[in-house]
Amino acid sequence: MALARRGGIGRYYNVNGWLFVAPALGLIALFMIYPILWSLWMSFQSGRGMMLKFAGFSNIVRLWNDPVFIKALTNTLTYFVVQVPIMILLALILASLLNNPKLVGRGFFRTAIFLPCVTSLVAYSVLFKGMFAHDGIVNATLEAIGIIGEPIPWLTHPFWAKVLVILAITWRWTGYNMIFYLAAMQNIDKSIYEVARIDGVPAWARFTHITIPLLKPVILFTTIISTIGTIQLFDEVYNLTEGKGGPSNATLTLSLYIYNLTFRFMPNFGYAATVSYVIVVLVALLACLQFFAARERDR
Amino acid sequence: MNVRTYLPRLTSVALAGASLLAVSAAEAKEITVWCWDPNFNVAIMKEAGARYTKSHPDITFNIVDFAKADVEQKLQTGLSSGTADALPDIVLIEDYGAQKYLQSFPGAFAPLSGSVDYSGFAPYKVELMTLDGQVYGMPFDSGVTGLYYRKDYLEQAGFKPEDMQGITWDRFIEIGQQVEAKTGKKMMGLDPTDAGLVRIIMQSAGQWYFDKDGKPNITGNAALKASLETINKIMAANIYKPAAGWSDWVGTFTSGDVASVITGVWITGTVKAQPDQSGKWGVAPIPALSIEGATHASNLGGSSWYVLESSAEKAEAIDFLNAVYAKDVDFYQTILTDRGAVGSLLAARGGAAYGEADAFFGGEKVWQNFSDWLAKVPSVNYGVFTNEADTAVTAQLPALTQGTPVDEVLKAIDAEVSAQIQ
Repeated sequence: MALARRGGIGRYYNVNGWLFVAPALGLIALFMIYPILWSLWMSFQSGRGMMLKFAGFSNIVRLWNDPVFIKALTNTLTYFVVQVPIMILLALILASLLNNPKLVGRGFFRTAIFLPCVTSLVAYSVLFKGMFAHDGIVNATLEAIGIIGEPIPWLTHPFWAKVLVILAITWRWTGYNMIFYLAAMQNIDKSIYEVARIDGVPAWARFTHITIPLLKPVILFTTIISTIGTIQLFDEVYNLTEGKGGPSNATLTLSLYIYNLTFRFMPNFGYAATVSYVIVVLVALLACLQFFAARERDR
Repeated sequence: MNVRTYLPRLTSVALAGASLLAVSAAEAKEITVWCWDPNFNVAIMKEAGARYTKSHPDITFNIVDFAKADVEQKLQTGLSSGTADALPDIVLIEDYGAQKYLQSFPGAFAPLSGSVDYSGFAPYKVELMTLDGQVYGMPFDSGVTGLYYRKDYLEQAGFKPEDMQGITWDRFIEIGQQVEAKTGKKMMGLDPTDAGLVRIIMQSAGQWYFDKDGKPNITGNAALKASLETINKIMAANIYKPAAGWSDWVGTFTSGDVASVITGVWITGTVKAQPDQSGKWGVAPIPALSIEGATHASNLGGSSWYVLESSAEKAEAIDFLNAVYAKDVDFYQTILTDRGAVGSLLAARGGAAYGEADAFFGGEKVWQNFSDWLAKVPSVNYGVFTNEADTAVTAQLPALTQGTPVDEVLKAIDAEVSAQIQ
């Protein structure tokens, strides 16, 4: 209303504002919106390399009959279901331990736990690959202290390869989530804890009834970010398995399958685009679900 | 996790815009080449370039060293983007992938039929780069296979070099068990996520994942069945050291942990890179299956040079490849001696280097042997879906070792391949 009364000047400011953001909008349209729309169009085409032809819904039909896609989807969801809760819980526990002002050397511990986050994805994957090799340092240590008799086939057994990927991404990303919780915890009013302590609320109940509810928006945020990250998992698996998602496709993720369809197999850009839209749909669904779950607890 | 959130975007954006970030076009009279392996292809191309520059001082070379997967990815991205600016003049392509590129990107590669005399090359190399009557590449190295073995370990186990000649796979496994009993060393390194050994054994009996028409040849493929059974026996006998990935596998023999290596001749440079193992290695023909059509010769990998149709230096690039790779017999002697590269130009085999004894292999005439075996490699149609079939095979290997009957494993492979190749 205020704008309408100012008339011409308001319109002048309006135009000026649009002019300022126009270059950015133009670039976003060119490098974000155009590729997104073009890949949607591509997902309705099929063929070899540049010889793409319109194929209607045949790519979507193909998804259902493609055992490798089903395998990649199952693996990705397994990572998500197992890894995200473990990591979020671990990050919460670590954050609340490190938030204790009486803890000696907490600056050191905070840095140490956050440090994995600044390492390059490729570098740490390569390092993990060496550490978890058949006669690598991890197997050697476990054998030396007598936990295992035979070396664990970390990279060559379908089950252990999945465990290794989960270990790796948990190591890499727990500290990242912890920093969010630490920051949020410092915003919780200390008087709430004081009151609780005076009322004789035990430490565990303070954690579950004060810390967690007050951190809920941050927990929701980190859960969604972690979900997106895990559903799009690529670097770690690519580098741990030399791009193959092996052994026997046990670690293959959707993103790695897209890569293989585009660059390793006979290039079928149409089908690869269809699989990328599966990720889009999956992330959207899971994010909605998490928003919904978080809203439920409000009542 | 915001780093990872860029990935799907990357996939789509890469298709549209990656060429902007890639290397810029070659300058006038500079021939840009993309290839992998600094000790092999890159070094050999540098040698070839130096020879050509001597007679053509106006032409220089820019030889770019990438990992093989990166060459393939950059090439595929560049070709699909439709802009040729980012592409090199000459690119190295592995033979298994040749038809895939030729059929997926028609018009992207320059036909060389009119410029090169192909009658001088090993026929199987020429065939795999032919499409609709046109030949597109310059045949380069062969992946003829051999059984490299540690004479010292085998001697300790009571075997002489004669005992390694012309053996079957069953005999190979027996020898492996005795080697382990006597020396504590495993017979070979094996990467269960790599189907290379399956391909070697299968091709040695004249079969491939696909038949002559490119149709899947899985369930009725006696050679594939026998090679899966062989792998299963090797695993059951536990005569292998497990390796995860290529460098780990190379480590099994450079470290002296295993008694033999079965692979393509291009590994020679890596084997010889351990001077302390000089004189301890021998080379024999690979073991054979006991089925019809079985031979002691096979092929693994090998690659060829291709000229991009869009190249500004197309004429110079073709002339260069023709002058060195199709005519210079002396060049092939140098790369054989320096790098262990067995070329596919047949005339090169008459050169002096092929007849020489190699001290590293205890004075054996290994090159003569390899070139004899090269002539015996059964010719097969690699088709366009070898990577897909390979993935299906490695996906089913664990089921095989857990006791699933071979015929069921073949059916599962067939189902996966059929779903993948539409």
